[in-house]
Amino acid sequence: MKKPRFGKIPGVLVAGAGILLLLPLAGLDVFLLDVLTIGFLTAVYAGSWDIVGGLAGQISLGHALFFGTATYACALLTSLLGWPFPLAAGAALLLSTAAGAAVGALSAPLKGPFVALLTLALGEAAHEFFLGQTFFSPKGAYSWGGEGGIPVQLGIPSVSPWTAYYAALAFLLLCTWIMLRIARSETGLIWTALSGSELSARASGVDIQRHKRLAFVVAAALAGAAGVGYAACVGRATADDFSLELSFQAATFAAVGGRGTIVGPILAALLFHPLLQGTGIPPAGRVLLYALALLITLRFFPAGVAGTLRERARARRMTGRKGNGR
Amino acid sequence: MNPIAQVLVDGIFTGASYALMAAGLALILGVVKVVNLSHGAFFTLGAYVAYVLESRGVGNPLAAVLMAAVIAFAFGVFLGKSFINPVRSHPFSVAVGSLGFAILFEQAAQMLWGPHTLSIDLGAPIAVVGGVTLRRWGVISFIVSLGLLGGLSLLLSRPWGLPLKLIAEDEEIAGSVGMDVEKIRYLTFGAASSVAAVAGALLAPAATITPTMGRVPLILSLIVVIASGMEKVWNIFFLAVGLGLLSNVSAYLFAPHWSYVLLLAVICLLLVFRPKGLAGAGPVRDY
Amino acid sequence: MTGPLRFRFLAFVFAAISLACAPPASAETPSPHPNLRIGILAPLSGPFASGGSSFLEAATLAVEQANEGGGILGRRVELVVADSQGRVETAKSEAMRLISREKVFGIVGAYLSEETIGAIEAATAARRILVVPVAATAEITDGVRRDYPRYRYVFRVSYSIPQWAAMMAEFLRQKQARTYAFVGAGIRWNRELAGALKTALSVHKIVPVYEAFYSPRNPAFEPVAVAAAAAAPDFLVLGDPGKNSVVFVKRIREGGSKIPILSVGGSLGDARVAASLPLSGPLYVQAAAWKGTSEAATRYVAAFEKRFGYTPVGYSDTLPHDAMTVLLSAIRAAGRPDTDSVISALEKGAFPGVAGTYRFDASHQAAWGPGSPDLHGTVIQWEKDGARIVFPRR
Repeated sequence: MKKPRFGKIPGVLVAGAGILLLLPLAGLDVFLLDVLTIGFLTAVYAGSWDIVGGLAGQISLGHALFFGTATYACALLTSLLGWPFPLAAGAALLLSTAAGAAVGALSAPLKGPFVALLTLALGEAAHEFFLGQTFFSPKGAYSWGGEGGIPVQLGIPSVSPWTAYYAALAFLLLCTWIMLRIARSETGLIWTALSGSELSARASGVDIQRHKRLAFVVAAALAGAAGVGYAACVGRATADDFSLELSFQAATFAAVGGRGTIVGPILAALLFHPLLQGTGIPPAGRVLLYALALLITLRFFPAGVAGTLRERARARRMTGRKGNGR
Repeated sequence: MNPIAQVLVDGIFTGASYALMAAGLALILGVVKVVNLSHGAFFTLGAYVAYVLESRGVGNPLAAVLMAAVIAFAFGVFLGKSFINPVRSHPFSVAVGSLGFAILFEQAAQMLWGPHTLSIDLGAPIAVVGGVTLRRWGVISFIVSLGLLGGLSLLLSRPWGLPLKLIAEDEEIAGSVGMDVEKIRYLTFGAASSVAAVAGALLAPAATITPTMGRVPLILSLIVVIASGMEKVWNIFFLAVGLGLLSNVSAYLFAPHWSYVLLLAVICLLLVFRPKGLAGAGPVRDY
Repeated sequence: MTGPLRFRFLAFVFAAISLACAPPASAETPSPHPNLRIGILAPLSGPFASGGSSFLEAATLAVEQANEGGGILGRRVELVVADSQGRVETAKSEAMRLISREKVFGIVGAYLSEETIGAIEAATAARRILVVPVAATAEITDGVRRDYPRYRYVFRVSYSIPQWAAMMAEFLRQKQARTYAFVGAGIRWNRELAGALKTALSVHKIVPVYEAFYSPRNPAFEPVAVAAAAAAPDFLVLGDPGKNSVVFVKRIREGGSKIPILSVGGSLGDARVAASLPLSGPLYVQAAAWKGTSEAATRYVAAFEKRFGYTPVGYSDTLPHDAMTVLLSAIRAAGRPDTDSVISALEKGAFPGVAGTYRFDASHQAAWGPGSPDLHGTVIQWEKDGARIVFPRR
């Protein structure tokens, strides 16, 4: 039987994309559009973690470093230096990619828990640094930065929520496509081998360190892109963009969705973010719901939802197909 | 008043408090190789137990420690049995799940005891020696951290520590030798949780108690345990004390503002130059 | 059809059905709600839930009192609550929810500077009034000055940083301090406060002998306590309203120092916390109002204690209470819940609150400070059996 080129999953994705494309026409208010827009950006951020943490198996606990670098660069360049936003966005993307290269270079010689520790320490250090670092604003009599954050000057008076929504959706679809392509490319396969066993990967003649570094670079670039979108949407960069909570959030979506599946983390983010932020649940209920959803999902889908489904599908394939013989 | 000596002594006590926080995580992460991100939550639990006892007139720290240990042990065993063990084929999910438990606990604590900052009476310093004040809870955490880490080191070097080490190395062999791997895992998890709660109960009086107080101790514990190399238990103590001294001395001599960034920078440098942490050399195992 | 083709067809059918079942277009025409809805935006979860929950409690009290008095313009006041979670993005998003979905008339919030700025962007874009009860940073009222047409909806009830410094400076002057030390958290607004205090005190020839900011997340208290004590100032000012100040007081007293401490308020204003602290040296706490500073304040404290079972700390509760009261009074004064009329009423009127009577200047900042006719703030001293008001002098 001819197997589909990309497997069954894209059918669901296409349907999902269709729903998201047509959703605003069902009459969503400004608030929900904004929540979903941020949700799309969060999904790209979660997917970018999966590149380095899932596919390449380098568990990073400081992924917010790349995100924050992008948002801060956008803010500083537009507000303090007066650059036009597109230029600042490009620079921000370059900077976060460079940060990825740096972190990758530092992490490549390390194994497992030490990568996690290094990325954790770097993210925390960046957070603490930007919490305390202020920048004197040439315009007002006050300074920017620190806990209050820095504004992002878009250069246009305002963006319509519909434009923002569709731009973010297009961005999400594009990045998802890119990530899936990368996952199925030769590099992606090498990363998968790497995360399974470094020994056998090296035995196949692969340059482990180079591929580890590459994973960080790609993941950082995507996280930076999400950061640029976020800066444009929210209009402000704060030290919290480097925070541990944000770093953990990426890892959490990956765990719940399915580490290494790319679509798992993306769908987890798309589901959780609007559900938690867009439905007006009272705060206690929201936190409890989140924690319980986490615990229950992982208890019954230990490899994440998409991950466990994939494992089961594989197991079924190996033990024989139903009805098709052999 | 001898400021430099005071700063050094305080630095040692701060380091000892890091070691105390890290002791529970050392047992779990270093031995059973489970990343427990609910470590901070158990720390917080211990602090609240101490507060509740104190507010009911039971000021004896020993009572607080015992109560905290027992309650945390029960919760730890429950968490181990219901979540950690069933999911243990996927260590990453275990870690994230334990984080979920931490979030759950923070919210529960906020609902039970309110979001406001709580405080326990500090008590007088133990002694003032040669112009240096020996803070009561600094001395206590120093002694207890020595005891806990010493006990852990002893446990692992004696025959009864063997099951733990074997489980960490190879569960299949441990199981085939007849060990009840599951039971030992959740009991160890319970023990680690109670050690975290003991740390919380002992460090609470000198500080304040809030639902989210465990977040930073979790990070510090992770840093200390992983950076020590997870090979020798005493490395944890020395690293912790070293970091405490670094933090305090740099705050005194340079800018107090950057004491934490400096600590983190030193950890990063440590990892760059010693990729296996403080332990350094050792056989390289890729499988 | 077999395999993948069938699956895709089913997927599209599923999508079409979902769309058909989608909720109908939300009514864009605002139907007049019988109640007067006011939004509250505060951090109710996360590390700042303490301030946020006092905020909510005090605002609830203000609304209940207004309703007991017959409501505003014959309508019941209804509080709509939103959790800002301590983040700018959530604050902005929740402000949007309050406005576009909950259809509130105006918002009181938020708590932290960054949250407030996020809320300001959302509120001003939607042309709704935002009354800021707590955040002190200059950026908040700067917009009103810089771009009045866009930011005229923002009013700040709390003291700005220079006003805060002026009130504390006046107290230190009365106490005849010659030197002082400032210890705060390494965050922007604490540094701004330190700078403003230095300027305000230099007028009275009071000089700083030590200034330090500890790490906000993992502070090294002891070295700062040692150095501050060694500098032997007449007064030690603690700029951090959070829990770290409490720990700092413990450390410096444990070390034997008896230097008088003046705190900006917050956690150190909590009676239960103060009861656990060593009083070997004087501990003063600054607040917006306290029981005994005025009749309104005493009534407020009694009502708060009765309703919530603990004594308010005088900052994260009193100011939101007054913010709510001021907004409601302005709506009543305007005669109708129309944004422009209410803005006009706020700009021109005087509104009594717990801490005093609020009048707003050209930047929509309430006039606090030694020069103000009515809003002076207060300083209390913690003693064995409770608090004693030491400023303003009677």
